[in-house]
Amino acid sequence: MAGLLLADPWQEAVPIPPKTDVPVWATDTTPVRHPTLKPETVIAGMTFRCSECHDLFPSPPETDRALTQHRHIVLDHGINARCFNCHNRQDRNAFADDRGDPIPFDQPPVLCAKCHGPVYRDWTHDVHGRTDGYWNDSLGSRRRLKCVECHDPHAPAFQAMRPARGPNTLRMGDQTHHPAGTEKTKNPLLIYRQTPSGRDVTHERPE
Amino acid sequence: MNGPNDRQDEPQAAAPGSPGMTRRGFIRKSAVAAAGAAAVAAALSPLRNISPDHIPTLEQLLQKHYKEMTPEEMKAVLERISREVEKRYAVRPQVADIKPMTGVEFVYALNISRCIGCRRCVHACVKENNQSRSPEIQYIRVLKMEKGSIDVETSDHHYDPPTVPEHESYYMPVQCHQCANPPCVKVCPVEATWQEPDGITVIDYDWCIGCRYCEAACPYWARRFNFAEPGLTAEELNPNMAYLSNRPRAVGVMEKCTYCLHRTRVGRMPACVEACPTGSRKFGNVLDPKSEIAYILRHKRVFVLKQEVGTLPRFFYYFDERGSRYHEPLDPAVSGGDA
Repeated sequence: MAGLLLADPWQEAVPIPPKTDVPVWATDTTPVRHPTLKPETVIAGMTFRCSECHDLFPSPPETDRALTQHRHIVLDHGINARCFNCHNRQDRNAFADDRGDPIPFDQPPVLCAKCHGPVYRDWTHDVHGRTDGYWNDSLGSRRRLKCVECHDPHAPAFQAMRPARGPNTLRMGDQTHHPAGTEKTKNPLLIYRQTPSGRDVTHERPE
Repeated sequence: MNGPNDRQDEPQAAAPGSPGMTRRGFIRKSAVAAAGAAAVAAALSPLRNISPDHIPTLEQLLQKHYKEMTPEEMKAVLERISREVEKRYAVRPQVADIKPMTGVEFVYALNISRCIGCRRCVHACVKENNQSRSPEIQYIRVLKMEKGSIDVETSDHHYDPPTVPEHESYYMPVQCHQCANPPCVKVCPVEATWQEPDGITVIDYDWCIGCRYCEAACPYWARRFNFAEPGLTAEELNPNMAYLSNRPRAVGVMEKCTYCLHRTRVGRMPACVEACPTGSRKFGNVLDPKSEIAYILRHKRVFVLKQEVGTLPRFFYYFDERGSRYHEPLDPAVSGGDA
């Protein structure tokens, strides 16, 4: 008995997986976009207000055509494929509401609400999109992110992003020795063990 | 020495001074006693590896249960914890015992229509709550599920595509649901875990005996056990700590999500809410009718995970109206084929 306990023939200890570092971007909490909320465009390194060109060169009325200017803009906004649905034809430093009256550039939610009613309603209740700050506004300030801090207005689908790495916990261990995409790597019930010989074995959990 | 007659007649040949004990019996019993002592010594042999840090001080041994401590005793305990953390990590922490606010019941809601499975919440949580990095302990598991089902058995939390979200998948992050009827609290044999008035189920890490009954009782797999000495470096340590939440844990105790009570009890958002790039995570006081949580419970279609087990979670999943994800067009015949 004493010999057994001292020799410890059941040395099947669960090894501690090596530490995996978490890159800085994985814990970055800044919003995904940083819009200027100002009517500006940068041409050849110089910043202009929209009206500085558009007062001189009026746009053609029809916008469903190949762009000759602003060609970096990729318009992927569903059936909303006309510039003047959102941009104000008369005042180029503003957006346009349903009657063509200006909406200031720094209030994009008012513009988006023209079409996205339910989302706007939820947003005004802090339910759509992120709200930074305090849950209790008597204890601290809170700030609701504007539409364009997450969505590109010209291609508004939330952009796909790289996922931070998955868990590397004791139970899961290293599963890299399985070819990626096989059923085994997807089994969350895998148990990781190390035999006394040091060889890694991954067992299926017994039924 | 003993003749054949003596062998047949042992009791009469008892040694003087110890009635009923023969020489043979004495040797036999001594051998058994020696073997027993050796086995005990061998069983205790792992104690050779114990470090002085693991031997509790008298102060720790005499510490009372959290609920029985007077404010002065708590102050002394917080001072002791600060001292220990400073000794171990060379960082002077701010350890507090933050009490629940009156008129507050915390509820969490998560929009599974918007979650993209990027796991930012998982790592923000680890960073905030001083979990062990090696072995790794994470409170949040993001389950990838097939659209059209809520089957946790076939879900996958090891997904690793180049970008998320993936086609025909949705993501369901699971963490402690802070149940109103918590099975983990019922099974604790030493009352080391309990529900606070603001709805957060907490653990006194100094009272936990590490039996792991609570881990077995939790239907959400939300509790984590420190199988090994937590691996945490001084650079990774978050010095803003509370007794019941993110102070460094020892080997052999349970831990779990506390809705970041060191943040939320002073009005801030939990770290996972702050990190979510999509705003899928919502947190607030359900007793405040103007809070976003109250709005979600009134206006959104909410559900709880494993409703049938009767745990009454304070963690709700909800989703948006059909078609409000405009980038996922409806049937082309319905949307005009142009969306």
